[in-house]
Amino acid sequence: MKNKVFAGLGIVAVAAAALTGCSSASGSAAASCTNEILKPDATQVSVWAWYPSFEQVVDLFNQNHDDVQICWTNAGQGNDEYTKFSTSIESGSGAPDVIMLESEVLSSFSIRNALVDLSAYGAADVKGNYTDGAWKDVSSGDAVYAIPVDGGPMGMLYRQDILDTYGIAAPTTWAEFADAAQKLKDAGAPGVLANFPPNGRAFTQALFAQAGSKPFTYDSAAPTDIGIDVNDQGSKDVLEYWQKLTSKGLVATDEAFTADYNTKLVDGTYAIYVAAAWGPGYLQGLEGTDDSATWRAAPIPQWDPAKPVQVNWGGSTFAVTSQAKDKAAAATVAKEVFGTEEAWKIGIEKAALFPLWKPILDSDYFRELESPFFGGQQINKEVFLPAAAGYSGFTFSPFQNYAYDQLQQQVTAVTVDGSKDASAALDDLQSSLEQYATEQGFTIK
Amino acid sequence: MAVPTTARDDRTRTIVTAGAGRPDRSARREARRNARVAQGGRRIGSHVLLLVLALYFVIPIWWLFVAATKSTGGLFSSPAFWFDDPMQLFANIAGLFEHQGGIYWTWLGNSFVYSFVSGVGATIVAVLAGYGFAKYRFRGRGFVFGMILGSVMVPLTALVIPQFMLLSQYGLVNTGWAVILPSLLNPFAVYLMRVYTQDTVPDELLEAARIDGAGEWRTFTTIVVPLLRPAIVTVLLLSIVGTWNNFFLPLAMLTNPETLPVTVGLNRWLALSNAGAGGEQVWNLITSGAFISVLPLLLSFLLLQRYWQGGLTLGSVK
Amino acid sequence: MATHTLTTPSRRRATGHARRQRVGWLFITPFLVIFAAFLIFPLIYAFGMSLFSSTLATGTKFVGAANYLKAFTDPLFLGGLGRVALYAVVMIPAQLLVALVAALVLDTLGTWLAKASRLLIFAPYAIPVVIGALMWSFLYSPRFGPAGTIFGLFGLDAPDFLASSAIFGSLVNIVTWQWSGYYMIVIYAALRSIDPSIYEAARVDGASGLQIATRIKVPMIASSMVMVITFALIGTLQFFTEPTVLRSIASGALPAEYTPNMYAYALAFSYSQFNYASTIAFSLAIVVFIGSFGFLFLTRKQNGLK
Repeated sequence: MKNKVFAGLGIVAVAAAALTGCSSASGSAAASCTNEILKPDATQVSVWAWYPSFEQVVDLFNQNHDDVQICWTNAGQGNDEYTKFSTSIESGSGAPDVIMLESEVLSSFSIRNALVDLSAYGAADVKGNYTDGAWKDVSSGDAVYAIPVDGGPMGMLYRQDILDTYGIAAPTTWAEFADAAQKLKDAGAPGVLANFPPNGRAFTQALFAQAGSKPFTYDSAAPTDIGIDVNDQGSKDVLEYWQKLTSKGLVATDEAFTADYNTKLVDGTYAIYVAAAWGPGYLQGLEGTDDSATWRAAPIPQWDPAKPVQVNWGGSTFAVTSQAKDKAAAATVAKEVFGTEEAWKIGIEKAALFPLWKPILDSDYFRELESPFFGGQQINKEVFLPAAAGYSGFTFSPFQNYAYDQLQQQVTAVTVDGSKDASAALDDLQSSLEQYATEQGFTIK
Repeated sequence: MAVPTTARDDRTRTIVTAGAGRPDRSARREARRNARVAQGGRRIGSHVLLLVLALYFVIPIWWLFVAATKSTGGLFSSPAFWFDDPMQLFANIAGLFEHQGGIYWTWLGNSFVYSFVSGVGATIVAVLAGYGFAKYRFRGRGFVFGMILGSVMVPLTALVIPQFMLLSQYGLVNTGWAVILPSLLNPFAVYLMRVYTQDTVPDELLEAARIDGAGEWRTFTTIVVPLLRPAIVTVLLLSIVGTWNNFFLPLAMLTNPETLPVTVGLNRWLALSNAGAGGEQVWNLITSGAFISVLPLLLSFLLLQRYWQGGLTLGSVK
Repeated sequence: MATHTLTTPSRRRATGHARRQRVGWLFITPFLVIFAAFLIFPLIYAFGMSLFSSTLATGTKFVGAANYLKAFTDPLFLGGLGRVALYAVVMIPAQLLVALVAALVLDTLGTWLAKASRLLIFAPYAIPVVIGALMWSFLYSPRFGPAGTIFGLFGLDAPDFLASSAIFGSLVNIVTWQWSGYYMIVIYAALRSIDPSIYEAARVDGASGLQIATRIKVPMIASSMVMVITFALIGTLQFFTEPTVLRSIASGALPAEYTPNMYAYALAFSYSQFNYASTIAFSLAIVVFIGSFGFLFLTRKQNGLK
């Protein structure tokens, strides 16, 4: 009927008008900010970040700056955001001016010329505010591709009540850890000592690093050269260690970051959580925490107590993208958004971040912070600050996603399927990564 | 209102012209009585089978409903298929209004707008094109139509980047248009409309109209479209459902949380909750949000059964 | 309006014919514009991309068919193809069987229970695939799903639905659940259009209900069944959404290249190899094309298409 067609057209017209009204300022992503712009005449810098409570940090920055304003959007978390970034790089538009990136993916993007070298924009001015390890993670040779924000120095969080029930002392070395796992099982405990996830990614790599593994050598000054050494003896020893534990059922092989895993973290199925400094915040946000649980933090177990090695798991940075219109303004944002005490108080208390900014890292406020979740223990002083201080940085590959996927497949074969031993798995990993690198035009050094 | 003159039995015509008039109940009652008489004993077995099947299909939806009434703690502690002690449905709904400034309802609104606009648009385009393919013999018709059918075989992943580039050239990425415009493309709807138009609109009718001096457009709007009503409704529903349920396209095109449809938005919350970072676990909001978001479609299916049933005769009968 | 046929003078028909040709094109134009903008142009661009090779370290260069050779000898692509072929062989008959049985039963019953069942069986189609997968991921969870309780009733241990050995069946279940209702409705509609007097004649000859179903009904709706199978085949070969959503909780069992479509997605969005991703997507399209047209050719007697 004529009416129906015209009615249909009418609906389309109205909706279209509504839509254009909504997106009238569109054409640039900058127009649609989640936060409020306080000074409309200032230069706007678009930022993608997924920190919890970040809006408060953004508001703080906007209040204190007259010439630059942040326009923030949460474009997704982790890989979701990286996918969007990747698409916008490929198509040449749509990227933000400043983007939150975990340090492990920095070289994956710098190799595509998507990131601006901040050494030309005053990166050296803030270098002194960060630890050497943190600065190394964002640098490649002389170039600086991002400003560090938060880190993940590793420690060990454990259920004091469970260990006490079975008369187990908190392990300080990996040998003690294995003994504790056996003792827990022999005593008939319903849970296991810990979990070794096949999709550990950076976690697994950090454990290897603790035994001396330096899997990748890469400098963006010579972008087509790469060194790959994933089947070194240290990594093999570590993987073999965990294989023994998983094959005897002393340690679980559940996938991390699933609802199952989250529940097991807090309900006592795992007595120990080998964690990064963002672990305590993570635990506290999970549902189903046992009220009678007593949590404590301790340094991560060591291979050789005389020569402790500190490692890092995760952490994020702010990078300036090459699509930024005003790179100087963007660099200012990257350097200063988490560059004040006030901003960090929000980050620490609301978002449970572990700062890499030395002024607050070294402050008494942070050092003496008592964590009620850990029974008032000063976990920063006792565990995470020493870990952060001892961390010397790490080099990731420019195809880290691929490397992680391959690592996961090999670890699954070893610990879940039991179809390979650790040595063979890592040798296979080495050859598959070498093959990939060659295919991608790298020269293997 | 014209009645199709193609030879069909009573029963079919009632279904096919459901939009044109009230169904002929007595014919169906007669047929039903015959069926009952002939297959008395097997009825119980058939019913049991149907019940089992229906249960299988409904159980996850029941789970969703029950889950929507629980708090996050209740989700993980109480049995899956029955309610927890304090029913939290209203608390969850209130939570949907509070969390992130009530963005869930923006997402739901976006889904409605995107689906309706692109659904109506795709239907109009499909009706026009279906008529064109069915009733006009122009050169190249077969080839173009074959190409359209073949397009169903192209994996979306191949098209996303180029579509993204095209839309960002016009500054449409990150707006609703990035979802609506590509969704106007519905080759299957064109196929359905073509088949239906071919079967339902007799050439003689059009010839007569032309002889009477009616222009092509007038013929189309006053004669053809009324005949096509059941099919139009079906195609409209299929297009709306298709866009509503579309996930990959908005995921790739949209960044700003305010522009997301509810499927992508809930997926964001799911990712956040799995990652578990500090207090962002909103399982109760995900389940209640998911439940509310499926209600419009489920209800429309229930209320518009006649059109589904009738319209889907299209294309399956030669 | 009169429905009589007239013999039009051929003179008028001749001049009207050319004009009608143009009008025909006009009706199709809106669709063609959209088709060209959102399919043809992107397709050509993507095809162009598939002929280049862009490595991370070096730049982009033209390699032509070498990319396709690489794709068709790529063990990950071929492995994915084998997997989706296996899925097709298992999932399509499963969905078809459920849909056919349900439609046949519904065709013989007219009670309100039957009508309600029909709606319930169709309901999953209304659920977005993402939400369906979310629901099933909860139901499959060893911790939160009911499997533990249900199997416990029989004194058995619940299987881990997300382990590599079981994931195939788990995914088949999700897809069957999601799509059988839709196929059921299509088959049901086809059944409803059969002249019931044929059944009467058969019953008079002494045919049982089952014989009527298998010997009369099924052959008569062969063409719609072929259509259902063709679309199911196209969809299954492009299997993507359900395994992708399930990956977030079962990434051990579901590697990134589990299906060819997922492989193309991972290549593009995880590893930034957009050119090779296009090649894989087109290679998949070639396989789908051959598969579906091959199937249509094999069933040319039944499918009723010209």
